[in-house]
Amino acid sequence: MIKVEHVTKRFASAVAVADISFEVLRGEIVGFLGPNGAGKTTLMRLLATYLAPTQGRVFIDGLDVFLHSLDARRRIGYLPENAPLYPEMRVDEYLSFRAKLKGIPRRKRRERMEEVKVLCGLKDVERCIIGQLSKGYGRRLALADSLIHSPELLILDEPMVGLDPNQIRAVRELIGALGRRVTVVLATHSLAEAEAICQRVFIMNHGRIVASDSPEHLVGQLQGNVSVVAEIAGPPDEVVERLRCVSGVLTVQLVGPAASGLGRGSALWRRYRLGCHPGTDIRPAVFGIAATQGWPLRELSLEVFELEDVFIKLTASVGRG
Amino acid sequence: MAYVIMVAFLVVAGLSFCRPLGQHLGEQIGIGELLFGAPYFWVAVLAVIALITMPLFAEERRTGTLEMLLTAPVTDLQVVLGKYAGALVFFLLMTTPTAAYFILLKAVAPGMAALDWTPIFTGYLSLWLIGSCFIAIGMFVSALTRSQVVAAVGCFVAVSILFFMDTVRLVLPGAAVQAALTYLSSTQHVQDFAQGVVDTRPIVFYLSLTVFFVFATVKAIEARQWK
Repeated sequence: MIKVEHVTKRFASAVAVADISFEVLRGEIVGFLGPNGAGKTTLMRLLATYLAPTQGRVFIDGLDVFLHSLDARRRIGYLPENAPLYPEMRVDEYLSFRAKLKGIPRRKRRERMEEVKVLCGLKDVERCIIGQLSKGYGRRLALADSLIHSPELLILDEPMVGLDPNQIRAVRELIGALGRRVTVVLATHSLAEAEAICQRVFIMNHGRIVASDSPEHLVGQLQGNVSVVAEIAGPPDEVVERLRCVSGVLTVQLVGPAASGLGRGSALWRRYRLGCHPGTDIRPAVFGIAATQGWPLRELSLEVFELEDVFIKLTASVGRG
Repeated sequence: MAYVIMVAFLVVAGLSFCRPLGQHLGEQIGIGELLFGAPYFWVAVLAVIALITMPLFAEERRTGTLEMLLTAPVTDLQVVLGKYAGALVFFLLMTTPTAAYFILLKAVAPGMAALDWTPIFTGYLSLWLIGSCFIAIGMFVSALTRSQVVAAVGCFVAVSILFFMDTVRLVLPGAAVQAALTYLSSTQHVQDFAQGVVDTRPIVFYLSLTVFFVFATVKAIEARQWK
């Protein structure tokens, strides 16, 4: 559905998007994740044909958006950042104007307007003046507008900002439901959002894609080696020695004295981090050692990474470099 | 806001029509010059054009709706022409009620020597020609900025210079320069038209300027892609 080939967008002062290439298949829900200023909005604008790339090419449904801009636009529903609207218009008026603008034939206009109003929960405000609506309604109206011409591709820039938790859930479900028929590309800085909706996530930083995969795989990649944290009271050197011999353990790291001050009973409480092969669970073996040696053991846990960790790791490290 | 501008304009136009009427009571004066020869009237026209055109693109740029507009399946030219047509129609609607002055004058003073309609028509022709040209200029200025105030001031300055070009003549030396400026000055054109003299040169001048600035606006809008 989307094919981006070596796209760079340079502004007078900075490079917003640097040599990005990717493909999005029909029916996929893809998220672009990144800190503020990572180039997400610029990329969305490039996809939506608002901006032209400095270098490289963008194809929507096989059409070069630069050469066949109008044909490409007919296939795209675009929700810009901040969902701009005309505050002096009424909801119905606005939708009708946008429907006309998007070339929906007169007979189908009413019908389409009703459909998107129901879909986005706008029925009870259809006669209201946009400027008087809450932010949440405004965003839903902009979303309704982006859907009105039944686009094949939906480009959403920060669709959830300004919505309350109930509305977020509603929009999430709506996107999920649409995702069966429509390709969805969304930019967000909310990890929970990306994790909940997207089948594939691109993490962006400084105008580049630094990682791309499904949320689960991204988490897996970061973990690489699984690690286990254990808190054991025993002579540290000996404990390290013993643990190292457990099969599947790659590294043993003495993290330091026990985290809490509860270890008054024994001065030997220490916290250890064990790096181990993925796919092996060494916890029973660690427990066995502790039991046979008579060392008290009070914590034994697998460290679980979340998308947030991946995000912070990737964006922070690239940021420094 | 549109109604406010319209009413304000008609008040100023009405006053400027009454003034010479009172002054020249009992004298001979070209009927067209009553309205179209009054500088107050033209200052009001220029101000109103600045007000009509200032939000056209500046406001959309500021609020971000321009992005919605330009990603819809319409060309930049269509957007520009649509905006231009909207402003022009408003301008025509706003200026036509002034025709009532002449009709009223005729009704109130039936004794007046046969009212000559020709200079009135040519006066309107000059008003609409200059209006359509200056609206294009105002639209272009509006497309360059995201501030409505900057757009309004920029437009007002630009069209005032163009309109009162023969005043600029007074401070610039050189006979050739002065002649050229007089030739370009709208005040000169207006006076000719108000006397019922139709010259095709100013018509071509204004129409070509209009086309040029509509084209320049399209380019200014397209420039977002290259910046």
